[in-house]
Formats: sequence, structure tokens, C-alpha cells
Amino acid sequence: MNLWKEFSKGFVKENPVFIMALGLCPTLAVTSSVTNAIGMGLAATFVLTCSNVIISLIKDLIPSKIRIPCFIVVIASFVTIVDLVMNAYTPEVHKSLGLFIPLIVVNCIILGRAEAFASKNKVLPSILDGLGMGLGFTLALVVIGSIREVLGAGQWLGMNVMPLAYIKSPMLVAILAPGAFIIMGLLMGLINIVNKGK
Amino acid sequence: MNYFVKLGLVLLLITAIASGILAFVNGLTSEKIKANKLVAEQEARKEVLSEASRFEKQTVTLPAVETEPNPLKNKVEAGPRQFIYYLGYNDESAIVGYTFVASQYGYSSEVKTMVGVNLDMSIARIKVIEQSETPGLGANAATADFQGRFVDMNQEQLQVDKDGGAIKSLTGATITSRAVTNSIAEGMKILADAMTEEGK
Repeated sequence: MNLWKEFSKGFVKENPVFIMALGLCPTLAVTSSVTNAIGMGLAATFVLTCSNVIISLIKDLIPSKIRIPCFIVVIASFVTIVDLVMNAYTPEVHKSLGLFIPLIVVNCIILGRAEAFASKNKVLPSILDGLGMGLGFTLALVVIGSIREVLGAGQWLGMNVMPLAYIKSPMLVAILAPGAFIIMGLLMGLINIVNKGK
Repeated sequence: MNYFVKLGLVLLLITAIASGILAFVNGLTSEKIKANKLVAEQEARKEVLSEASRFEKQTVTLPAVETEPNPLKNKVEAGPRQFIYYLGYNDESAIVGYTFVASQYGYSSEVKTMVGVNLDMSIARIKVIEQSETPGLGANAATADFQGRFVDMNQEQLQVDKDGGAIKSLTGATITSRAVTNSIAEGMKILADAMTEEGK
């Protein structure tokens, strides 16, 4: 029961983007389309889970004074592995995410979970925490990405979902940078209203 | 003192293991990454020059560019430049055209275009292969509609309509259109010069 809690808390209750407001830089940058959002979310989930495992395994060996550089080395290694493997086996996804993958290193969700959770917990809860937080991050990206892509390009996952007349002159601002800020702000506000009402 | 040496050693150990793993993964993937790149380029070439089945790389060395003397800079950045194009052969080993990559900075990114040229120096097809221009405006340069505007154009016609040419520019993205058009025109000129020189 407790383990399920570690896994599920990332989706809504402690959603990294909407509640904890972590990792906003990649959130704003990659959500211009749903495809990008899914790719970035899954890559970050993979790195987060792997780094949580390693960090919970070696937490007793790392002196607390140098724990941050150690975490960064572990995370950066996994990011590089993801980068190389994606480049070799899924070149199409890599082409559109290429710029953002190195940004995972400084995605504060990953360092945040390493510091706040993995360095204090055993391996199994750390895996679940990583998966849950990662998928919660992915969920948030997909929600924002869907709104932006439908409004800004009239498409969803690259398929036309709006009338042709709309696609010809869509609400461009939604897929430009200001649209990311506006839509994320509105969503955060909405979630706060719902949470307060409880 | 001992404590700090120990800290350093722990960090050294962790980074050493990490770099070992990275070297291993790099060894596994680097060949595949190189191969992917070649395949992607080859496919783009085929797409812009569909009659050709085989390509042969050619290199032209261009004279150094004369740059305006800049009082703020001591170094004049100019050297011999290279222009790379490919001869396209059909199944009977006859030359059917040429391809090259045109590249110029647009509004917010380097725009690279693969260009296929017919033997009579008109454009067969073009394909924008790399850009990160403004979504919805400049990024539309990668659409079939815009790329189709270049088909059958020759070097003299290669200017956007605002500059008096025959290429209708994208709405609200003249800079991107101009980058694509001018880079292709420049490449076409070098290619034509190279052809006359070799008497081909």
C-alpha cells in the first residue's frame, strides 16, 4: 500500500510540474507538440528512475559533503547514455529532441528527487518514486502539449483534429513561447482552485 | 587533511567508473550513429533527384573570400572554402543531375536545404532538411507547398518576389524565404561555374 503511494503521488498530489513547480524550463521548451512532450517525458523518466536506483544503492558510500557533485555525475552519465542510444536507434525522435536532452542534466526534478528521496530511501521505493514522478512529469507535458498543439497548429500527435479553415490560420501564439507561459499559468491556477475547493 | 583526500578519492572513483561506462556505450553506438547520418543524407539526395540511383561525391575548392577589414579584429577569417556536390547517376551509369546542400542563417537558425539539380541547371526538387525557424511562420519553409515553388526554377529566377525574383515568399517570413532562396542561388552559381570549367 505504501509502495503504491510512492508511485502514485507523482501524478496529481505531488505532480512535479503543476504542484512542485520543478523542471519548468524543459516543460516550457518542449511542449510545442505532443510528440516532443512524450519523447522528453519518457527520456526524463528513464534517467530519473536509473539515477534514483544508483543513488539509493551508493547513498551510504557517498560522504554527505560531496553528495551533490556525485549525484550530478550519475545523472549526467545517464543523460549521455540516453543521448547516444537515442541518436543510434531512434534518430527521428533524437532530431526533434536533440537540443533538450542535455537539458535533462539540469532538470531539477531529477536532482531534486535524488536529494529529497533516493538518498534517504531503499532501492524499491526509489524506483517507484522515479517512475511515478517521471510519469507525472510526462503527464503534465502531454496535457500542456495537447492544448498547445491543438490550439496552435490544429493538430494532435501530428493528425489534423480541427477544421481545415482553422488549421490554415490557427492561434499561433499557443505554440510560441508566450503561449507556453500563459497555458501553464492557467493550468496551475485551475489545479489550485480544485485543490482549495476540497 | 586525510578526510579531504578521502573525499577526493571517492569522487575520483565515481567519475572514473562513469567515464568507463560512457566510453563503452560510445563504442557501441558511434558506428551506428555515423551510419544513420549517411543513410539520412542518401535518402534526402534520392528524394530531390529521384531518377538517380547512385551518387558520387565531388569537391570544389573556392577562392578565399575577401572580407572587409575590421578594425576591431586582427584576424581576417578567410581561407579556401570547399563546396561539396554529388553527381547523380541512373542505373545505366549516365549522369542525370546534381545535388548539393545549401545553407544560410535565416531568422533564428541555420536553414539547410538539400537541392536536386537537373542537367539543364534547373531545379528538380528541394527539401529543407534542417531548420528551427518560428513555428507557423518560417518553419513552413519545410512544407511541400513552399518547396514546390522551386521546381523548374533556374538560377536567374532564384530570388524572392520582394527582391524581384520568381519565388513567392512565405507570408510573414520573408527572411526565412530569402535565406533558402539565396543559399540555393549561391550554390547553383558555384555548381554552374564548376560545370563550365570542367566542360561537362
